[in-house]
Amino acid sequence: MKKKKDNKVRKIKVLVTKVGLDGHDRGAKVIASMLKEAGMEVVYLGMFMMPKDIVDAAIDEDVDVIGLSTLSGGHLVFTPQIVEEMKKGGLNDVRLVLGGVIPIEDVPTLKEMGVDAVFPAGSLTEPIVTYIRNHVRQ
Amino acid sequence: MKATAEKLPDNQATDVDWDKCLAAYYEKPKSSLTWSGLEVKEVYTPEDLPSEKYKDICDPGTYPFTRGIHRNMFRGRYWTRREVIGMGSPQDTHDRSKLLVDEGGSGLNTIADIPYEMGLDADHPWAQSEVGLTGVCITNMYDMETMTADIPLDKVSWSLITASSVSVVTMAQYAAVAKKRGYDLKKLRGTIQNDPVHFRYCGFAPACPLDLSVKLGTDVIEYCTKEMPLWYYTTVNLYDLREQGITAPQEVAFGFLIARLYIDEMIRRGYKVDEFMQRFAFYVSCHIDIFEEVSKIRAARRIWARLMKENYGAQKTSSQQFRFAVHTAGCSLVPQQPLNNLIRIAYQALSAVLGGVQSLHCTSYDEPVCLPTENGHTQALRTQQILAYETGVTNVADPLGGSYYVENLTNRLEEEIYKIMAEVDKVGGMYEAIRTEWLDRVFEKEALARQKEIDDRDKILVGVNMFTTDQETTTPLGVQRISKVSVKKQIEMVKKLKKERNKSLWKEKILDLKAAADRRENVLPFMITATEAGATTGEMMGAVRLSFGYPYDPLEIIQAPF
Repeated sequence: MKKKKDNKVRKIKVLVTKVGLDGHDRGAKVIASMLKEAGMEVVYLGMFMMPKDIVDAAIDEDVDVIGLSTLSGGHLVFTPQIVEEMKKGGLNDVRLVLGGVIPIEDVPTLKEMGVDAVFPAGSLTEPIVTYIRNHVRQ
Repeated sequence: MKATAEKLPDNQATDVDWDKCLAAYYEKPKSSLTWSGLEVKEVYTPEDLPSEKYKDICDPGTYPFTRGIHRNMFRGRYWTRREVIGMGSPQDTHDRSKLLVDEGGSGLNTIADIPYEMGLDADHPWAQSEVGLTGVCITNMYDMETMTADIPLDKVSWSLITASSVSVVTMAQYAAVAKKRGYDLKKLRGTIQNDPVHFRYCGFAPACPLDLSVKLGTDVIEYCTKEMPLWYYTTVNLYDLREQGITAPQEVAFGFLIARLYIDEMIRRGYKVDEFMQRFAFYVSCHIDIFEEVSKIRAARRIWARLMKENYGAQKTSSQQFRFAVHTAGCSLVPQQPLNNLIRIAYQALSAVLGGVQSLHCTSYDEPVCLPTENGHTQALRTQQILAYETGVTNVADPLGGSYYVENLTNRLEEEIYKIMAEVDKVGGMYEAIRTEWLDRVFEKEALARQKEIDDRDKILVGVNMFTTDQETTTPLGVQRISKVSVKKQIEMVKKLKKERNKSLWKEKILDLKAAADRRENVLPFMITATEAGATTGEMMGAVRLSFGYPYDPLEIIQAPF
């Protein structure tokens, strides 16, 4: 539990989304449900979102984490665009977490771009939940 | 490569946990369930397979084809060894296709990328950064000519994987190119996936409105039946459904009910099943439980034969036969300890062959990482070749037939499949189950259950929830990247062709297509003429979409140019 703005204790809030045309949403839906079961508040944005849509929603919903699920290989194209939008929107405290089909070789590049954590396909739920709990600013 | 350590013996204790070793020695399997959750006994005996039951099984090549559709199975012909290929530009896809044939592939198998499946041209503002990432984008006749260039279309069986409602466009583009190159359409061999109804579940709902999916899917079936009699005009895709996380019996039940939507539409159009069912085929998953997958396939063959004969009155053998290709289960593969995937794929391919498969795609070991590298692709083909040429599995038809266990499991899966079909009937049939999103809810529930099974170690996944190691920092055979250069060139070419085509001819043909759609005629012949006149994928789909009351662009970004 954390305090934010109005000083009321509130749940960690996570936006789960896909970007661009990549419609493979099994992973996104599963992680959204699992985070809910772990006691977090989840905003499921779904498919066909562009970087600006995602960041606008993150601002509107005042989330702590943006969880981006990606399968189609567009992560290196879209991640810098999302990071750029996050900067423009002043989301300095919001964590950007990626999951999905991502070559392990790309993880250092993604982190340089500004991604906080990457969970490849096959990840268990527990380390994802733990990561979010430990890294959302209390 | 590290050499062994040149150390002298010492008395220092190692950090190996010997208690763990002892426990492993006595360890027994935790679960006695099949992958799909059926409890099985520790041994099966003749009591599980009374001999009078053989009438439900019968010899291979004999109704109800439980044991296979041919009496001699692979002695007559190996299964088709073809790997799915689709990457970068049409030229890139063409080159990889030729490489794999050169390495011993016996057919071609090309897959559409996301923009193409969505019905977007390569120059669509949302498509440009995603062209070629997951397959090949064919926007116009020129792209199809590039992909098929110098490949003799009368000497290959070409499987075209466009699964969405856009498959009608793919068929038109392929036919237009074949005609231009002087081939007789009646003699072409191949397959088109053409199962738009299921494809909404792969993230393509905006491109696959339900009514249009049934209409356009059936247009392809109807056209090919008349004009391309050797062509397999659909492979109803059970595989993609399974990839949502459902069980083996759900895969067959839901897939068969989707198949019936097209068949019923053909009947509504006035055809008898024996006039068109000879070229109906399926695309099936083979997951990791070998005996369950073989039994699933055997049950599917029996159910399909009975369904066709008893419900639809099919008389011809070829109308009753369940023909299928297999795609080994991509969702069973993980990037942790990635070489393990080679082993998983080999077992899955074995179950496909023991099940009597007609055509096989072995997934590449790097499936959960990226598109297949050249080495990854070749390795997948080699997996098939070792199976075909070394192991002896091709000698005997249905080698597991008569196994007390497999026959029993076949019967139980058959019962399960019928039970699930009856559940769908209760919600008003498959069309309603889809329309009301009943099926979406089933998929979501099952996908969540699969994740929990792995989280809770009810199912073991080596490298994920057992025998884990530190995450690798590189992928063993490298990572496939998509060249921005070739894709950019393709997009520029699309823009150029749109500028340079004969505008009045183009407009006339695209309006002809729109008019045919308004009259609710089969649109495929009109798409062939429109393709020849320079019309693009997005324009042709848009014309038909408008006619059915949907926005021209499924993403509602661009407007119709006509």
